Amino acid sequence: MTGRALPSVIALHVAVIAVLFAIQFLLPDYHHTNVARILVLATYALGYNLLLGYTGLMSLGHAMFFAAGMYGAGLPVYYFGFGAPAALASGIAAGVAVSALFGWMALRTSGVSFLIVSLMFAQAFYLASLYFNEITLGDQGFILSQNLAPLAIGGASIAFHEPALKYNGALALFAVGVLGMLALRVSPVGRVLIAIRENEERTRLLGYDSFRYKLLALVLSGGLAAAAGATYALLFSYVGSTFASILYSIYPLLWTLLGGIGTILGPLVGTGLMFYLVDIASGFTSAYLLVVGVALVALVLWFPQGILGMVRKRWLPWLP
Amino acid sequence: MTPLLETVGLSKRFGGLLAVNEVALRVDPGEIRALIGPNGAGKTTLVGMICGRLAPSAGRILYGGADITALRPWERLMQGIVYTFQVTSIFKGLSCYENVALPAQRRMMRSLASRIVLPEQQVAERVHAALGAVGLGDVAGQRSDALAYGHQRLLEIAMALAAEPRLLILDEPTQGLAESEIAQFCELVRTIAQRATVLLIEHNMAVVLALAQRITVMDAGAILAEGSPSEIERHPAVQKAYLGR
Repeated sequence: MTGRALPSVIALHVAVIAVLFAIQFLLPDYHHTNVARILVLATYALGYNLLLGYTGLMSLGHAMFFAAGMYGAGLPVYYFGFGAPAALASGIAAGVAVSALFGWMALRTSGVSFLIVSLMFAQAFYLASLYFNEITLGDQGFILSQNLAPLAIGGASIAFHEPALKYNGALALFAVGVLGMLALRVSPVGRVLIAIRENEERTRLLGYDSFRYKLLALVLSGGLAAAAGATYALLFSYVGSTFASILYSIYPLLWTLLGGIGTILGPLVGTGLMFYLVDIASGFTSAYLLVVGVALVALVLWFPQGILGMVRKRWLPWLP
Repeated sequence: MTPLLETVGLSKRFGGLLAVNEVALRVDPGEIRALIGPNGAGKTTLVGMICGRLAPSAGRILYGGADITALRPWERLMQGIVYTFQVTSIFKGLSCYENVALPAQRRMMRSLASRIVLPEQQVAERVHAALGAVGLGDVAGQRSDALAYGHQRLLEIAMALAAEPRLLILDEPTQGLAESEIAQFCELVRTIAQRATVLLIEHNMAVVLALAQRITVMDAGAILAEGSPSEIERHPAVQKAYLGR
């Protein structure tokens, strides 16, 4: 990225975070919780987009990283009484470990083979979470609210059922995710990742060990997904193997495609839109997935680059 | 004098085809060496092994006297071996600036901190110097796939220059350039040769004769002849196999 656009890029992303902070005082209760959930899931999609949009690797196994974060945070809370900060750290550590191990093995493949391998690993992870149901409690899952100590901030202590903690916890996660993505995007490493997406062989011949960069991207992506999974478990107090299922690998792909692949705010737009599309459609019909399907077909037909991809193409070429 | 580049019994086999057969090539520091030969002679395969794109089936590659046969392509680039593709291989979706910034930042990324943040001003200076050298100074902001084919070839060379080559391998660089641009290109190669050794694969004999101090002729995977331009022009086997006289 050239230097001139950078100040307006930073201003835009900070403004989005500020708006998200401000609207919590205006939102009705129902939407307040919804937006908190959207922000956590959008962070998950941010991590996914780092791999797909900025490195060019399509995964169908990200539920494995999301669930690794969820179990990595939830199990220590449930069994050992971890506090929230330690649980978040152990969740992220679990996601980083799983993604590093997976990447070390799976990044020997690329393209469709990588897609299939990631799907297989994630299915194995999902089945393992069911198989070890004496520990994980399988798809029935477990609730954390009995075990999780309130969060101490300064002198105050705030319980996790407080809506303000849910919202601002989710927003803090999302803000770290967005600003981290932005920093990565304008860093020398971000330039290498985009080059790998565009032409991997050329990148290798220009002096970059592409395997190491792809592994780094995968670990950052898996780590961010795990941070979202851990935060989801802590804020919404539930851990279950549903979150390790194939559906939760497909979701971030859809959110990213809808919002705009390879744009930093695309995952937020896509996640929010899809969330409310399902929410509104299910109020009218039980066939709400049909509505979602039609919306996706329309998207592919008219806006193949997603919403922000189209905005970038038509109006804002500097949008990262 | 230790040659900058030396190949020893270098061979490449693709299934039943022996594309390069025990080639012993020596290139001295500072020279402009042309590598010529008919299509399929094995020129691109040979330089592919030198830059690390292809693994040799047999033989060794010495660079500045050290064996680099086992080095990966990115390690060879860091030692100064830079290759420009025969079939243009630029980053088509990115601007010319970004295309050149990638190699320009490589040598600046030495510490962990410099991988996270670099002074973009310094990268920009290198980018503009490289683009300016090939005459693409005023299209930095354009998408690279909007350039004419000949200019995409020049962009390849700018990318190579930004990587600070010691041994620059140019694979048919004048393909797609207009006659008027070829004279400028020859001037550019002479300038580059003041700082780097150039190995030039080229079909345009006028360019070869204008630039090269020595010429190596390949045919059917082996070196057919080697010598000064005048020796090569007179060589009977060369005239028969390549110049068609």
